Amino acid sequence: MNYFPDEVIEHVFDFVTSHKDRHSISLVCKSWFKIERYSRQNVFIGNCYAINPERLLRRFPCFKSLTLKGKPHFADFNLVPHGWGGFVQPWIEALARSRVGLEELRLKRMVVTDESLELLSRSFVNFKSLVLVSCEGFSTDGLASIASNCRHLQDLDLQENEIDDHRGQWLSCFPETYTSLVTLNFACLEGETNLVALERLVARSPNLRSLKLNRAVPLDALARLMACAPQIVDLGVGSYEDEQDSESCLKLQAAIRKCTSLRSLSGFLEAAPHCLSAFHPVCHNLTSLNLSYAAEIHGSHLIKLIEHCKKLQRIGDKGLEVVASTCKELQELRVFPTDLQGGGNTAVTEDGLVAISAGCPKLHSILYFCQQMTNAALITVAKNCPNFIRFRLCILEPHKPDHVTSQPLDEGFGAIVQACKNLKRLSVSGLLTDQVFLYIGMYATELEMLSIAFAGDTDKGMLYVLNGCKKMRKLEIRDSPFGDAALLADVNKYETMRSLWMSSCEVTLGGCKRLARKAPWLNVEIINENDNNRMEENGYEGRQKVDKLYLYRTVVGTRVDAPPFVWIL
Amino acid sequence: MENSNSYSPYSSSSVDSTKPSPSESSVNLSLSLTFPSTSSQRETSQDWPPIKPRLRDTLKSLRLRQRGYNTALFVKVYMEGVPIGRKLDLSTFSGYKSLLENLSHMFDTSVICGTRDSKNHVLTYQDKDGDWMMVGDIPWDMFLETVRRLKITRPERC
Repeated sequence: MNYFPDEVIEHVFDFVTSHKDRHSISLVCKSWFKIERYSRQNVFIGNCYAINPERLLRRFPCFKSLTLKGKPHFADFNLVPHGWGGFVQPWIEALARSRVGLEELRLKRMVVTDESLELLSRSFVNFKSLVLVSCEGFSTDGLASIASNCRHLQDLDLQENEIDDHRGQWLSCFPETYTSLVTLNFACLEGETNLVALERLVARSPNLRSLKLNRAVPLDALARLMACAPQIVDLGVGSYEDEQDSESCLKLQAAIRKCTSLRSLSGFLEAAPHCLSAFHPVCHNLTSLNLSYAAEIHGSHLIKLIEHCKKLQRIGDKGLEVVASTCKELQELRVFPTDLQGGGNTAVTEDGLVAISAGCPKLHSILYFCQQMTNAALITVAKNCPNFIRFRLCILEPHKPDHVTSQPLDEGFGAIVQACKNLKRLSVSGLLTDQVFLYIGMYATELEMLSIAFAGDTDKGMLYVLNGCKKMRKLEIRDSPFGDAALLADVNKYETMRSLWMSSCEVTLGGCKRLARKAPWLNVEIINENDNNRMEENGYEGRQKVDKLYLYRTVVGTRVDAPPFVWIL
Repeated sequence: MENSNSYSPYSSSSVDSTKPSPSESSVNLSLSLTFPSTSSQRETSQDWPPIKPRLRDTLKSLRLRQRGYNTALFVKVYMEGVPIGRKLDLSTFSGYKSLLENLSHMFDTSVICGTRDSKNHVLTYQDKDGDWMMVGDIPWDMFLETVRRLKITRPERC
């Protein structure tokens, strides 16, 4: 390959876009490493503490898009205390000082401040795309900076962030001359929206493809917006309330009929059921329907809506039998529990899951909450759908066995991992012994992420997984009896993984210290919200159990921004 | 699974109200804010089941509506000795802590749950059976479903 000039090789590399593949070609030889370095456009950093901005810039001086992830996944469920870390400010400062022509920034579970957003908006002339997922720490003032200063902004996508809504005028900060908007998602904003500014913005954005509104956008405003943007592909609806205003409904229906490109629908935060019928004309084209937040939509209206959606590929809802019989193209499904406390009548049991698996052969990703499960059902599901890539099952009551046989669910999950040869992500629940982990270690060869809660009997369980799953990247465990023996058995395994989380398990402080000594290239963090010092004063400190352990490989050593309740060994 | 397994849902690592503490005697009835150690505690705690907070709140409000409540849950609140009461929308609070903070602010005095002493006003409630109970013994969600009115008692009356 040395017969080609560098420019030619670089041109060939342009067609190689996946991060894994770019990484592979960089390892071929020095020359390719160098060419790949300078031509890398998109950088993905799965753990912001595995590397620092300086080293990033040294390796890739010319990238345009950066993806950064901060807190561990269990932070989504309040397991990581506030202030743990994941600050984006040092990254933006470093990038601003350098000559990187940043165009896209995608952040997940990071702490973002208004100051960061302001600096971002002023530092990169060609900045085009900002995607923030599950972030916190900023307000609408930060959004105002982005709107004011990013002349070439195309995407502003805010997904499930905690944003301090100052009810300001951030929407009117987009200049009148600004017309390049493609994606606007502000569904997670809680406060009022300047409807006039929004309508004017949408009216002057001919390239707008994706629009996701928040609660504060009522029905008549929605009708006007749809009328301005018939080219829309992806729509997130705001609040409908119990609209008696039939005129608005009619206007909405007329506007929606013209949206022939609409393929994806979400939102419905407070939906008046009879207004759902306004969407029936476009349902047959929908490939994605996310009704996770549609708490108001009950059975029959939901069913009517789904019946109109023949081409669904992605869906999140509760009308499972109807889904199974009408949505033959279904690929992803999310089912959430309406009753968090358990008990009461529940429409979501193992029967629903079996029906879906039988009716939707293209299903490859599922997140399913339910009250009860059986091995027989899981075995049937495995037979019906061997194509699962993501299988996340959450039985609400911890340790719950097969409700028919009272046996653990080892065999059921075993069938899933055996049949689904491409399984990349798995979450297990219910009563489970070490046996299920034996199966996972044996059969789940492609597994990259595993979530374990209230499962297993002994260290053997965790060892089966660590020894067996060669492609494991993220392992998160809570409330399971795995201890030091499992943690320390194969320290080098952690170099092949992004991170390990263990909370309320049997690992001790002594064990963690031994691990940290053996593996200096790991950051071993003990997160202890209680008085941290007590751990050291206690005479039996070696045997003291660690409440939360988070370890991850890193090339830049101990991070300097850890709060007092995080102890890095 | 043996019950001695400390990871069963029937005990909590930080609170165990089933065993009497050595300091308790028949005279000193110091109540602290404990929840019964049942599996319902685990299920209504903020980290299980694994659902993001925003979605959890949406689902909760749906459940309340399904059980016949509007999401607005107004109850009367009286301060003992004061004839005119207030009205409070309990659905705006996330838990006991924010309720107490708000009441303390509203009545301009410190209001607490549980511990009886000569200094603090203690919060009590009337449940759907008509009985007057101490606030704080049951999970918040359960409390919302059973509470009918609130009363802030004067310290010495408890």
